[in-house]
Amino acid sequence: MLKVIKDRMIMLVFVVFGVSLITFLISNVIPGDPARMIVGQRASQETYQSIREQLGLNDPLIIQYFNYVKGLFTGDLGTSIRTQQPVLEDILSYLPATLELIIIAFMIAIFFGMIIGVFTGIYNNTMIDYIGRIFSISGVSTPIFLSGLIVIIIFYGQLDWLPSSGRLDLTMARPPTVTGFYTVDSLMVGNLETFRNAVSHIFLPALILSYVLLSTVTRQVRSSMIDVLNKEYIRTANANGLSKWTVNVRYALRNSLIPTITVIGVSFGSLLGGAVVTEIVFNWPGMGKYVVDSIGSLDFPAIMGFTIVIAIGYVLINLIVDLLYIFLDPQIRE
Amino acid sequence: MNKRLLIMIMSLLFVLVACNSTAGTEDDGKSSDSNTLNVSIVEDAGTLDPGVSMDNSAWKITYNAYERLVQYDGEKTTVKPSLAKDWEISDDGKTYTFFLEEGHKFADGSEVDAEAVKFSFDRTLAIEKGPSSLYNIINETRVVDPYTVEFQLENEFPPFISTLAANYGSIINPKVMDHEEDADYGQNYLASNTMGSGPYMLEEYQKSQYYKLALNPNHPLDPELKTVYFQISSDTSGARMRLEKGEIDILEGLPVDQFSEVESVDGVKVLQSPSLAVEYVYMNIGKGNEVLKNKMFRQAISYAVDYQSFIDEIMAGYGTQFRGPVPEGLWGHNPDAFMYSRDLNKAKELLEESGVSDDVTLDLLYSDNNSQWEELALLLQNNLGEIGINVELTKVAYATMREQLDVGEFDLSLGVWSPDYADPYMFMNYWFDSDNWGLAGNRSFYENPEVDKLIREAASISDQEERIALYKEAQEIIVEDAAYVYLAQKDSMIPMREDVQGYVFNPMLEGIYNLADMSK
Amino acid sequence: MELDVRATHTELINRPSQLRLNWYRFRKNPLTLIGGIVLLLFIIIAVAAPLLTPYEPEVINMENRLAPPSMSHWFGTDEVGRDVLTRIIYGARLSLGMGITVVVIAGLIGTIIGAFAGYMGGKFGQIIMRIMDVILAFPTLVLAMALTAALGPSLINAMLAIAIVKIPAFVRLARSEALVVREQLFVKASKTFGLSDIWIIFRHIIPNVITPVIIQVSIDLGDAIMLIATLGFLGLGAQPPIPEWGTMVHTGWEFFMEQWWYATFPGIAIFLATVSFNLLGDGLRDVLDPKSIR
Repeated sequence: MLKVIKDRMIMLVFVVFGVSLITFLISNVIPGDPARMIVGQRASQETYQSIREQLGLNDPLIIQYFNYVKGLFTGDLGTSIRTQQPVLEDILSYLPATLELIIIAFMIAIFFGMIIGVFTGIYNNTMIDYIGRIFSISGVSTPIFLSGLIVIIIFYGQLDWLPSSGRLDLTMARPPTVTGFYTVDSLMVGNLETFRNAVSHIFLPALILSYVLLSTVTRQVRSSMIDVLNKEYIRTANANGLSKWTVNVRYALRNSLIPTITVIGVSFGSLLGGAVVTEIVFNWPGMGKYVVDSIGSLDFPAIMGFTIVIAIGYVLINLIVDLLYIFLDPQIRE
Repeated sequence: MNKRLLIMIMSLLFVLVACNSTAGTEDDGKSSDSNTLNVSIVEDAGTLDPGVSMDNSAWKITYNAYERLVQYDGEKTTVKPSLAKDWEISDDGKTYTFFLEEGHKFADGSEVDAEAVKFSFDRTLAIEKGPSSLYNIINETRVVDPYTVEFQLENEFPPFISTLAANYGSIINPKVMDHEEDADYGQNYLASNTMGSGPYMLEEYQKSQYYKLALNPNHPLDPELKTVYFQISSDTSGARMRLEKGEIDILEGLPVDQFSEVESVDGVKVLQSPSLAVEYVYMNIGKGNEVLKNKMFRQAISYAVDYQSFIDEIMAGYGTQFRGPVPEGLWGHNPDAFMYSRDLNKAKELLEESGVSDDVTLDLLYSDNNSQWEELALLLQNNLGEIGINVELTKVAYATMREQLDVGEFDLSLGVWSPDYADPYMFMNYWFDSDNWGLAGNRSFYENPEVDKLIREAASISDQEERIALYKEAQEIIVEDAAYVYLAQKDSMIPMREDVQGYVFNPMLEGIYNLADMSK
Repeated sequence: MELDVRATHTELINRPSQLRLNWYRFRKNPLTLIGGIVLLLFIIIAVAAPLLTPYEPEVINMENRLAPPSMSHWFGTDEVGRDVLTRIIYGARLSLGMGITVVVIAGLIGTIIGAFAGYMGGKFGQIIMRIMDVILAFPTLVLAMALTAALGPSLINAMLAIAIVKIPAFVRLARSEALVVREQLFVKASKTFGLSDIWIIFRHIIPNVITPVIIQVSIDLGDAIMLIATLGFLGLGAQPPIPEWGTMVHTGWEFFMEQWWYATFPGIAIFLATVSFNLLGDGLRDVLDPKSIR
């Protein structure tokens, strides 16, 4: 256990160093001077030079990088050029929205993925299998930017059942921040109306994002299911008179847990890509929108800060996956 | 176990969502009450600090939160009193004295006095960001008495009075220094707060969600709109649906192709007004492809462009062809200036005469921040192709484009320009003075000593008639020189709910709302 | 039941009938077959593009902009009057061509790096894997976005970005196989004969990792096409006037409320191509990897 944590921590150092170095280098190749963005387009040359000086852009690159890394240790990710706010502050204010979206999407994907996985596994190579797999594979194959817009037009434009953007109605007071997840925070203070509103806002984006994940979960569950069904002890269990359902579900789901969790850990990065597009389509005020806007204005302190936070998140999630692995393994063997 | 929990959560979600679908209609009612205005904007405004921001989207918010010494008069491009009830300009044009009206108060109740005015301008100059380059011309700001303030300019600069009506002329409460961190003059605080004396103040800002303006309790006016939301929504399709349902009152950023459709929706109107924003093409004479130094070659390009298709099709008819370098609606515009029109034969003749070899390839720079640029770029590529000029399209991020414009790394580039203050200086001196090469304004890297002389003289005298005459003389040379392709003057199009009343469009205040006079 | 039989007998079957068995399995799975057929259609369309349409993909016609689907323009026209179907057909060349190129290049590079890392082991292998960790820690889309922002948005840069992102998976795969193979007797024997490391890697290690690499390639293809389209959608991919599906959706998206056809048809093309690659990938995995018959 300790060794796993130690390994991951070493990895963390490497990753943060590597990621920051790469983004830093990239940011300095780009023709797009941050000073130019701040100074506005009609400013004089002196003003421009004085801003370069203020930002330390006239220092040698190595010094600039050194200063950046020094800042990292104190939690200073620099100041965003676009918003003129500390990057860390910006990111922390956007992070909960994204996490909430991703976590709920995961929950939906795991729920449906398990159901479809179990069925396609049991009815392997029948019509049910084909339909289930086509349905789940369609998820990764549908461009979010299209499916998102279509559900908005249906559920908001035509049926008027669900809101099309944002996290809460404007008139709705924001719940006091504890976790930053509106769904959780509103429940904590027992405000059901706000909770319902938050759920109605997150429902469509989470559903669309979960559809992308569906096939990953389905595939794992389905293969575990087939494995399990072919193993000796299942036949024994069947002979012992346990109902077919109990057997299938209990063994197969438990067996599929580890590979599913592993895949989730690894696919975190690509899920984030999906989240970026989802956030744009649903006007979800999360980090994806923040980073796309930052890239549009070549706001490199923001882009670097974002990448570093994500990289740290990636390492931590993989650490959790490792720990879960250790935790779950003995159970599997029994 | 895991699964049971999930099932529970999921069913809970479904039930709650189902419940909400019935509750939805009530919520809509709330957001559209007559004291609340909802404006859908495309993006966050960046810093709101008037001493830092050069950004029009910030002005949308700050216009109503601050007051300035002078303000634009209704629909006109001339200024009228605001904080200053009166002012005097010395004969040499270098000393401006403003007499403040008593009784204006900041949102915290403290008085707007001469000290506050001096503080605001000194602060901008000390911060040394974008706006300071405009006010570098101020030698000294002097408090004469509590309600009199005097500016000493380094030299005569007639547009000065007009700059005071712009965002960077906003008067800031000196108490902002209480929020100072690391000697930043309160920049960090003012980035997302307002401290002005306008009828509104920023009550709440939720990043990427909305700005909420509430009334300034100390302002003498009592506007009908008590709360104004600027909702941020980059997805215009969704925003349009919300406009049609009445959840938002004013919609920004709608693509031009959709205005006619949206107008046909019940309860929606589209306000069309000619603006001072122009579309044009920079031809990099100084630093681009050598062939662009050839005047006849540039004229050939000017004759090859299909202006009518651009205006009728791409701009969906919401614009007019741009005549001469000063747009219609601003003084100094010359209604008799020569205007190029599409004439392929003439273009080919000129190309022949210019002696430029057949096989020319020019790159055309543009960015993705303007939705019509792609179509326009394709049109130009096609138009120039017809006279045998190859065009390669280069689409870059907006920040990259600005950098390339500044250093002159392009042959042709698309551009828009709208004036910050109402003076032909904004066009003539910015676009053609060889001192302004690059992003500053002269983006064609154009240099003509005669023009330099004329426009510099025009900028140094105060008599308007004389200035017009000088500018007119310069314009004739400039148009002949074909330094830019003058495409179109845009119409401002604002879709809004029919019940929104009292909005006045001022071409100097595009995208800015006179909230205190509006109602619905 | 039938699965068990296959698994146990695979080893015993000699080569020609192995092929036949593979083909049999492939054919027997209708989903794989559907995927294959759709892809084949796309490839035919891509190759025969100029024969299939009377229009040019890049010639504009302002008088006929945003025309709805009709007999002369089955999928309507776009904002500068180009035939949408024509652009989708030519776009097939691009999306498929680019997708395949990117993944194959990433596969080649990744496999070679991985084989070296695994075979050499030690410090060298460690360093390689650390570098791969760094790349993996970058969110795919963000790395691609950062790279295209840095190098300028263009198809080549988008491809480069996607290729870099795809490399680590192959490195890991090849390395783990190489770690196993290098301990085997024939490799050790080759070494004692004094054969060079490079020769051993290319003669013994790489052929042994080909199967899992092919499976990985087929899985990544769908993803690569989606990534190209997504970058295009974010305005970071192919530059106009090049017909690329994602870029078409990006531009058409703005017109979606009135001119639904403009974004919808390229969207469907992306969907079909990606689904087929995924189905094919799944099928190939079943056929080529007896360990994971699923």
